Amino acid sequence: MPLLRMRDATFTRGEYAAGPITLALSPGDCATMVVASANEAAVAARLACGIVKASTGTVLIGDYDPRVQSVHCKRIAAFVAHEPAMLQETDFPRYVRYRAALWNVDERLALRRAAKLRECVESMHAAFAFPLVGALIGRPQLVVLDRPQPAYAEQIVALLDGLTFVSTHVADGEAAAFARGHGSQRLRA
Amino acid sequence: MTSRPFLAIVAARLYAELGAVEFTILAAVLVGMLATPGLVGPLAFCCLAGIASAMAQSPGRHPHLDLCEQSAPLFGRELARAKAFAPCVAAVCTAVAYLGAAQTRGGIGTPFAAPVVLSPVILCTLVALCAAIRTGVPRLLYLGFAIAAGAAAYSLAALAHSVWGELLFCALAAFFAVRQYGEALARYDYI
Repeated sequence: MPLLRMRDATFTRGEYAAGPITLALSPGDCATMVVASANEAAVAARLACGIVKASTGTVLIGDYDPRVQSVHCKRIAAFVAHEPAMLQETDFPRYVRYRAALWNVDERLALRRAAKLRECVESMHAAFAFPLVGALIGRPQLVVLDRPQPAYAEQIVALLDGLTFVSTHVADGEAAAFARGHGSQRLRA
Repeated sequence: MTSRPFLAIVAARLYAELGAVEFTILAAVLVGMLATPGLVGPLAFCCLAGIASAMAQSPGRHPHLDLCEQSAPLFGRELARAKAFAPCVAAVCTAVAYLGAAQTRGGIGTPFAAPVVLSPVILCTLVALCAAIRTGVPRLLYLGFAIAAGAAAYSLAALAHSVWGELLFCALAAFFAVRQYGEALARYDYI
């Protein structure tokens, strides 16, 4: 069963528009999406994890439609924003507790798991590492990255090893850094 | 929704606005000590403080919190309740600080001051929350509703001398305001 299916999915609201996007991801797959602008990349990423609802076309996340079952979709898909979070290294436990509470994950387990994940991306700046680590606390099946930093591509791909993920980019070079082996799909809008 | 995500959202929102909340409470203490007795002063000041607290929840002020909340597996109504509670706590603290400061000068000269002031403050805050997630004319319209709701509550309490009428009006209007906010959040596409 595909984890993410997008069929001619579009989104339009004011200056924000994306699509049509057609994509199918099975568990373990990964895909990189190259789009024309930063706005389009932001919208495409949010469409893929159910934060925004498609204006036309279909998006199914693990057989759930974000338009009617957004809570189920958000249990499956995690989102990592492009913008760095305004967080310091000292905010880590508070941030993990906050994310654990929102995803209803046991606090001690979340702290332990987050510490382990943080070790894997130790050299990554806290502003980029925390959202990534936070997204993985809820053990998502699908991770959607909005324009991830190419400088951290190797660490991000290593951290997401075995997970299904899709990332949006505005340049081919950036997308190439996130392509994982021969199994990765490369889309161009 | 369990209380855990609710408390986490409220705490995170209040923590993010802590400086502004402290400033508003200090201002309320100062104004409460200086203002002349009467219901207009506390209602106007505290309702405006409540509206300001609600507007501080506008998307984009704390994008990181907005994104975490929007991507969390929570229903719109659950998110609405938690997001509405934070500015209400700030507004109630402001009103309590005002009334406490006014008490040092003999109170505001109105019986049942606390419920009479607190209920319209909470109502204004909740109605203004609907403005926080809108832009342009709808935002102005909801802000107008918030001020009108405060004025209507004042009319009931001060002019019609009906404290129960004011409380009932505020409770009913607040219920619909939270519902409306929940509906709007459920449909809201956060970018």
